[in-house]
Amino acid sequence: MVSSTSSIDFAVIGHQDNWEGIERFVNGLRTPEQGKLSVEKIKSIFPFIPPRVLFNVQVKSITGSQINGIYIDTFFDPDKLDIQYSKANSSKVIQAASCAEKEGARITTLGGFTSIVLEGNFNYFARKATKFTTGNTLTAAYIVKGVETAAGQSHINLANSKLLIVGATGDIGMACVTYFKNKVKQLLLCARSLNRLENLAKFLLEENVNIKFSVSVDELLQDADVIICVASTTGLNFRDCKKDALICDAGYPKNLDKRIHDNPEVQLFHGGMGQVSMGFCFNPDYSNSIYCYPVPGIAHGCILEAMVLAFENKIESYSTGRGNITTDKIEEIYACGLKHGITLAPFHNAYGLWPD
Amino acid sequence: MNATTNQSITVEEFNVISDVFSQAITGELIGMSNFASLTDTIDDPYEKMEAVEHANSERMHAEGFAAYAKKQKLNVKINLNGEYWGNVRKQFLSYAQQKDFIACLIIQEVMLESFAISMYTDVGNALGGEASELFLSIADEEKEHLEHSTDILRKELQKDPVAFIKKFEEIHFNCMTILAQFSATTDLRGHCGVCNGDCMKGSLHHIALDIVTMRGNAMALYADALDNIGIPGEKSTVWLAQLPA
Ligand SMILES: NC(=O)c1ccc[n+]([C@@H]2O[C@H](COP(=O)([O-])OP(=O)(O)OC[C@H]3O[C@@H](n4cnc5c(N)ncnc54)[C@H](OP(=O)(O)O)[C@@H]3O)[C@@H](O)[C@H]2O)c1
Ligand SMILES: [Fe+2]
Repeated sequence: MVSSTSSIDFAVIGHQDNWEGIERFVNGLRTPEQGKLSVEKIKSIFPFIPPRVLFNVQVKSITGSQINGIYIDTFFDPDKLDIQYSKANSSKVIQAASCAEKEGARITTLGGFTSIVLEGNFNYFARKATKFTTGNTLTAAYIVKGVETAAGQSHINLANSKLLIVGATGDIGMACVTYFKNKVKQLLLCARSLNRLENLAKFLLEENVNIKFSVSVDELLQDADVIICVASTTGLNFRDCKKDALICDAGYPKNLDKRIHDNPEVQLFHGGMGQVSMGFCFNPDYSNSIYCYPVPGIAHGCILEAMVLAFENKIESYSTGRGNITTDKIEEIYACGLKHGITLAPFHNAYGLWPD
Repeated sequence: MNATTNQSITVEEFNVISDVFSQAITGELIGMSNFASLTDTIDDPYEKMEAVEHANSERMHAEGFAAYAKKQKLNVKINLNGEYWGNVRKQFLSYAQQKDFIACLIIQEVMLESFAISMYTDVGNALGGEASELFLSIADEEKEHLEHSTDILRKELQKDPVAFIKKFEEIHFNCMTILAQFSATTDLRGHCGVCNGDCMKGSLHHIALDIVTMRGNAMALYADALDNIGIPGEKSTVWLAQLPA
């Protein structure tokens, strides 16, 4: 394989989550003579493309070291991210994983929805030459550190607050539960499967944690001072939340802003996001079309986890699927990131950066 | 669907199946002619004999399709000079005249075979009975051609990656542009000269197929072929995105 870099320290497997970005990307590749394609035409091409490397990434640490990586897109159809398309999507993830291996990536992260389609089934990746991680530990770290920092800035005392976690039984949700269980006044837990919620509740009640749980988010919303949304769904609506609630939207795609816009006192930030202080260098550089953050160097925690592990030469499956994220690991990976200038991203949402 | 007896099929099905066979037979005859022209570009006597063998195998595919079409009294039209097939053949011949064996291999065994394998597989899965077996078994044989060329082209790439990729890119735009126009939802260069009446693309739903999926699958197989040869994804993504649609 011909590659502009001699060795691949890390790979990121990802996907696009909206057609506007894909349209910008595809039409950005076309010359004026070739003309632009309509979204309809792009929809008939893009999802058929097999997973492949889109670009190389160079990342610098504040220590002076530098790592080389590749971004592999799965070419998921953004209209087909839901669980009903898992079978087709997981075969694309497996193809993307083979691509990472073929390129010789030492560590590969399964970004966004690509880890979820595997439903916690990591066995497939166990004997591979490249190590795979979901990146969820660093995502969880940026969510919990983000909530603590944002609460501080907004003069919200977490110890006196009720924290709602939507998606509480998921991998990242459980990590947040574990982190906050003794730090807030009450945990409000929400997910669709009552069975899994009850199992989680039983375990927390044994530890005397103050909780309330429900499969209906509306039953919990009115009580919540702070909300973390880490459900793998696109269909939630928090319009009836407290008017001064603090919301960390860490789901994918991040689309809660649009639904609470009429409630100006609600503070919402896109959670689970980090920033590389030394920035990235892309080749080819598609940041004009697919980079969509208000300042440079921002990426999802799951993507940054591969970079942190590569910098630290920790070539291991650090995050391996549902229920394995401990608070110690959250602290460890967060601290590793800081050593290399990889920090919590500045607070932002669909309307831009939070005002200071 | 069972296309083995034409009593059980509607007029619409009959028409679209006729056009599908017309395209398949025409495509196989183009392949046969291409392999025959390829023999001239080869010095090695064994490779020369192999090219003749490939030409013969494409001839047998054409005969297989034609025999079935005759038996079913399908309304088949063969035209090697239509807008798309004729221009693909012209492209091929321009490289054959320069004795450019590698370019010929890329056009016939990577580009045309990717489309043939993928589309025959889709048609084979959609049609029932004997027609299905025919398409699927021919698709299997075409796979061997693709694999054979992949080995040769991978070695060729390793000799001089920069020059090889540059050359491949030129052929991609010369030839895949025609196939992309041919397989777009609307004929981007006019009627193909093969289908009876309107182009069959608008009637594929009568046999549970659609051109978007067939084209998408064919492009995907072509993309896989590029990967197997060793063309970097950074390149192939751009090549695919720049085709007409
Ligand atoms: N910011 C980042 O960097 C980053 C990184 C990775 C992942 N993510 C996103 O974080 C989210 C969670 O990831 P994960 O790996 O923890 O997924 P996961 O293990 O599949 O967990 C998803 C959780 O959401 C719940 N859920 C799903 N649909 C729901 C609904 N309609 N209402 C309430 N709860 C619902 C699930 O429980 P039930 O099935 O019982 O409802 C489960 O508790 C995903 O959206 C993912 O894309 C963000
Ligand atoms: Fe046609």
